[in-house]
Formats: sequence, C-alpha cells, structure tokens
Amino acid sequence: MDFAKSDIQTMLLDSAERLLSETSGVEYWREQRHGALGFDEGRWAQFAELGWLALPVPEAAGGLDGTIEDIALLNIALGKALATEPYVSTVVLADHVLKQASDEAMALELLGEIAAGSLRVALAHQENGAHPLDTATAGTVARAADGGYVLNGAKLLAVDAPSAARLIVSARIEGEEGLGLFLVPADQAGVALDAYPLVDGTRAADIVLTDVTLPAAALLVGGNRGAEVLQEAIDRASIALMAQAVGAMEACNKVCGAYVQERKQFGTAIGSFQAIQHIMADMFVAAHQARSMLYHALSNADRPEAERAAALSAARIVVGEAGQLVSRNGIQVHGGYGLTDEYAVGHYFRRLMCLEKLYGDVITHTERFGDSIFA
Amino acid sequence: MELRLDPDLETFRTEIRAFINEVLPAEMKERQRRKVANNAAVPDLLEWMRILNAHGRSVPHWPEEVGGCGWSPMQLFIFNEELYNADAPEFDWGGTHMLGPVLYTFGSDYLKDKFLPMIREGATMWAQGFSEPGSGSDLASLRTAAELVGDKYIVSGQKIWTSGAAHADWGFFLVRTDKTVKPQRGISFLIIKMDSPGITVRQIPQINGEAHLCEVFLDNVEVPADQLIGEAGMGWTYAKFLLEHERTTSSFIYWSKRELARAKTIALGETIGGRRAADDPAFRARFARIEADLLALEWSVLRVLAHEEFDVPEAAAASVLKIRGSELQQEVTMLQVDAMGAKSLRFFEAAPVPPPAPTDAWPDYAPGRTTVALINRAATIYGGSKQIQKNILAKLAFGL
Repeated sequence: MDFAKSDIQTMLLDSAERLLSETSGVEYWREQRHGALGFDEGRWAQFAELGWLALPVPEAAGGLDGTIEDIALLNIALGKALATEPYVSTVVLADHVLKQASDEAMALELLGEIAAGSLRVALAHQENGAHPLDTATAGTVARAADGGYVLNGAKLLAVDAPSAARLIVSARIEGEEGLGLFLVPADQAGVALDAYPLVDGTRAADIVLTDVTLPAAALLVGGNRGAEVLQEAIDRASIALMAQAVGAMEACNKVCGAYVQERKQFGTAIGSFQAIQHIMADMFVAAHQARSMLYHALSNADRPEAERAAALSAARIVVGEAGQLVSRNGIQVHGGYGLTDEYAVGHYFRRLMCLEKLYGDVITHTERFGDSIFA
Repeated sequence: MELRLDPDLETFRTEIRAFINEVLPAEMKERQRRKVANNAAVPDLLEWMRILNAHGRSVPHWPEEVGGCGWSPMQLFIFNEELYNADAPEFDWGGTHMLGPVLYTFGSDYLKDKFLPMIREGATMWAQGFSEPGSGSDLASLRTAAELVGDKYIVSGQKIWTSGAAHADWGFFLVRTDKTVKPQRGISFLIIKMDSPGITVRQIPQINGEAHLCEVFLDNVEVPADQLIGEAGMGWTYAKFLLEHERTTSSFIYWSKRELARAKTIALGETIGGRRAADDPAFRARFARIEADLLALEWSVLRVLAHEEFDVPEAAAASVLKIRGSELQQEVTMLQVDAMGAKSLRFFEAAPVPPPAPTDAWPDYAPGRTTVALINRAATIYGGSKQIQKNILAKLAFGL
C-alpha cells in the first residue's frame, strides 16, 4: 500500500492540471452545456493526444495498461474541472467489456480506435422499472436469425449515447441463459435515439430497438459471462464516477472557502461567523471521508465479486451522501448567488447529483450493502 | 498510488492474533467481554500491562531504546486492532500514550529513568489533570497555581474530569507557574504523586452509575521541583505535542469496529416489530450507513498513519478523525441500544460485580450496552468539544 503518486500518475496529473485549468470555469461550462454534444470534441482530441483515452487500453493495442488507481486519479482531476466528456462510458466501461470480448482481434482494433479518439462507445443496459444494479436480466431480447441476431427492446437513460458511434446493448438471448452484450452501431437501421440533456449538461438517450439486425460477430460477450462482465464494467465505472465526485467536492470546497472570505455582511466576511465555519468544517469532513472511501473501493477493486461489491456499495453510500452535503451546503453559504447559473457552486451541485444517482443511487447501494452485511 | 494491502501484514496479523490468544488469560478476556462498566477494572488493566511487558510488547509504539517494538504504523494499527478484537483490557492510555511520549521527548534523564519503566511495566495508574471547573474548552485559562519555593513547587487549585483519579498512583498536571505572561506561556507540566498531603479526590457520580470521573482538589501540595517536565512555561506546548502525537487515537477506530461487530450480534439476536432487528429495513439501512462511515474513518486513519500528502495541514486530517471518531462512537453504541428496544432500559450496576448470568431474554451482550452508550455522550465533549474541533478545522482547512 502506497499513497504516494507514481511517476506516470504525476505525469497524468500534471497534464490534467495544464489542460483542464485552461479550459474550465463557469463560462466554459455554460458554453458546453448549450453545445450540440455537451462537450468540446476538440478537447476530446486533446484527451487522446495526452494518452488519457489509452489509459486502460492494453499495450498490445497501443495503450498504457494503466491501473484502476491511475484511472481514479485522472478522474479526480476530471471531476474537479467538471468535465462533461464521455470518459467513463467510453474509456472505463466500454474498454472493460471490449477487453473481455470473445473476438480479440476485433476488440483490439476497437480499443485502438478509442485510444486514438476516433471512436466513442456508450452502454445501453438500463430499462424502465429495472433494478439499477441488476446486470443479469434485461427485457430486451436477441433472437438468433440467419447466422446473426435480431434485437428488440427499449433502453432508458443510456448515458453519453448521443455522442457515441457504437452502443453496447444488453439483451437476453432467446433460448439461452444469461445476458448477451452486443455491439450495435448507433446509426443502424431500427435504432431510434431520443436524446436529452441531464441536469449537469451531459447527454443521455432513451433507445428503442426495432428488429435491429446484427451479424454474429456483434455478440461481444456471450450469455454465460455477460452478467459478470457487465457487473465488473459497471463497478469500475462506479469507481471512476466516485473519483469525479471526490474531485468535484474538493473543488467545490475551495470555491466556497474563498467565497465566505470574500462575501461581507454586517460589515465583515461571513466566514468569520461560527455558524458558517461549522458548515465549512462539515463540508471538509465529508469530502475527506469521501476520498477515504474511494481508497477503500480501490483497495478492493480486484477482490472476489462479493467483497468488491460490498466495498463499492459502502463507498457509494459515503461518497453519494458527502457529495450532497458538500454541494447543498455550498449553495447555502452562497445564499441567493448559489442558485444562479453564473456561480460555480450550482454547477458542482448538479454534477454531484448526477454522480450520486448513476449506476445505483445511495438508497440502492445502502440496500445492497445492508444485504451483504447480514447475508 | 497503489492501495492493496501488503500481504506481509496479514502474516503479521496472524502472528499477533496467535500471540494474544496465547498470553491473554481466559478469565480476564471473559471479564472484559462481559464488563458492564465503560472502563476496565484496574487490577486487570495493570496485570495485562505486566503480561505484555514480559513479552516486550506493552509499549510497542515507543522508540525502541525505551522499550518500543520498532513496528511500522500499519503494524501498530494491526496490533491495536487485534487487542480490541480479542477483548483484551485497554492500555492505561494516560501513561502509555499521553505522558509516555511527553516524558521520553522532553523529560530529564532523572524523570525518564524513574517513570518510563513504571509505565512500561504496568506498575502505576496515571491521572491526567488538565481541565478545571472554569477551564474546559478554554483550557489556557487554567488557574491551578504552582509556586516555586526552594526546591519544591507549592500547588493549589482544582482539577475536574480527571478520569480514574481515585485509583491513580501518579498524575500529570498542567499548572500555572507564571501569571504575568500570556496565558499559554505561563503553564507548566508537572508530575504529582496522588497520595501527596493536600490532595483530595472526589469521585463524581455519572449518568451511567459509574464514578470514574473525579474532581481533584490541591491545597498547598508540595511537589519536588525535579518533577517538572522540560522547561517551566512550556506546558502548553507539551500538551499540544501530546495531543498531536496521538493524532489517530482519538478516532477510537478499533473500539468502534469491535462494538459494531457486537451491534451485529445484537441485531441478529433481538427483534423489532416481531422480526429480527437485522431484517428490519430501516434498521438495516441505518446499520449499513454506520458501517460505511466507519470504513471511511478507518481509511482516514490509515491516510494519517501513512502520512499521505495533503493539500491542507495534516492537523486538519487529524481533526476529521476526532470529529467523526467521536460521532461514530456514539452512533455505534446507540445502534446497540436501539436494536434492544425497550430492553435497553434495564439498569445494570456498573460496579465491579459479575453481571447476572445470561438467559434467553437477557443474553450476555445485554448488560453494559446502555451503561456505555450513556457515558459515550462524553465522546464529543472531552479532548476539545466537537464545536471547538470544527472551529479549528475551519481555520486549518479554509483559513477562516
């Protein structure tokens, strides 16, 4: 166990500091929010140049073979800067599924395209009314036909799908056990996207699949391993999202710490009042504990599934609650200005709300962790 | 950064577990596990120190030249965790963890030679005389005066909340030796024998039936001047050193983890609304939340022990341990109490009598839970109240 940063981690964070500090802040965020994709494709290309998109990619595909700690540290930086790029969907989630794909040659090629910045992939698994942590079942069905498959079904809230060229779609394969993971071109006939923004300016889509015809090679992971691979991929995504939340909280605290020293009422900085100081202390404690829990999840990232899932859910509880405590109180100490789109704190609030709810909210993870304690 | 636990530490843990299992007497372990009182009985506590000392492990955290084991912070963490998990008696923290480090860092050779062996060998119980009736959070305003007359200090004043003073052989006191300077600069750190003429100890009856906290009255008590630690006027600095030296102790992480395990046993043994407490969704959610918070606290402790590089003063990270550690002690004990519902209301004597034999309705975990939960309201008060801690944290982390 070593808390000190490795050379590659220091390099990553230095590059993040350089790129992201130049391109973030309220003006930048507001501009992106109103753009077509919710992020700047030019900056995505810079992510590729800096090697960030190759971080978890195997060396064989031109990647850096980075560790989950490397990914977490970079995502802390992305979270600080409230980056809206589809990094987690493409580089954490999709990469993991592709690495488990049965057709290795095809997977390596796709991973290479991701690393180069020319391909973005999003997961379409969630369905209306389904349990957000259930990776074993889906209402979407794949029927074998003409040596390939035909998909039918409806997916909900596929995060980052509107900017993805390909989708990883989960479906029950008729006549088989388990869940298959299919690679589906987003512009394939029969794929209909209803795209919308989330409150933080990122984009998601509901997807209707009507007789989508796929070749046999589209099945990345077969029914016997689909649920397990999807679970692993989502758990890794959860870690990356928690890292972003930690980064966002720490940045939010800095902004609020500066604001309460600047803002004067009754002739003095409001930060001189104990009532405000104690709120700020609570915010610091929460963010600090959140980072500790990210470390707990990282420490257990390679453990057997039950242990990994328990550690992850415990972490999601603490990080999720902390994100809300920090950003809600952040708005409170800003008073009315906290409610405007022109102050950073409201941007942190909305991002942290998204990070709390994606891939299982606090309530869901509390249930899962409670079940594991008394299993 | 690489956060997987070092496999060597698991080997160390196995060795420590076997060691404790071998040397901890079964009856002592059972008395500890079933005690109603919050504090260990003095004879067990001292006997346990003597046993550990016979194996060179009574003060593992001290420097090796004064009897420490030379272990890494992680090894010390595991040692402590295993002690708690085994229901071993606690250390006499006042001697081993508070006075000890001050003594070997600032004390004269005479004081080190005289007192370090006494602490290490479990020969004495120590009392900490810091707070006064008018000086709680505002400790620097303390007024107990020590006047140097020849080769003696003449000490008069009053201390309060002095834990275990009625059973202590010696005490370490903060006293005012100079009234003419800024309050913090006029304080000195003095060792006083508790049976000195002029000392009166009154045990304070507590809300849980114990009387562990005491008032100590000092009336012209003569103290040899060579029992002054370090320099006169430096007492405040030494007291701050003492608190910073033990910056992870205030987390009570080992204690709270063990008590959470006990809460789980209770949740599996008691019912809420006709079903196992563990199966009650609201209770289970609360349990999950507390366990998650405790895991976070544990990692916060490890981060301080391993000296992670923080972008705020390390004292801010230590302050988190005190705030969350004290809150979680309270949450964990209240979880135990709430799992027992109305049964938690039965009053069990904390006095050193064996608790009643367990029955189906009153399992052996029942006596003591409420006794401990009641006095645990103290956790967010002593050692700098939670509100003082937040003031400090706002300053350290945000410059407020």
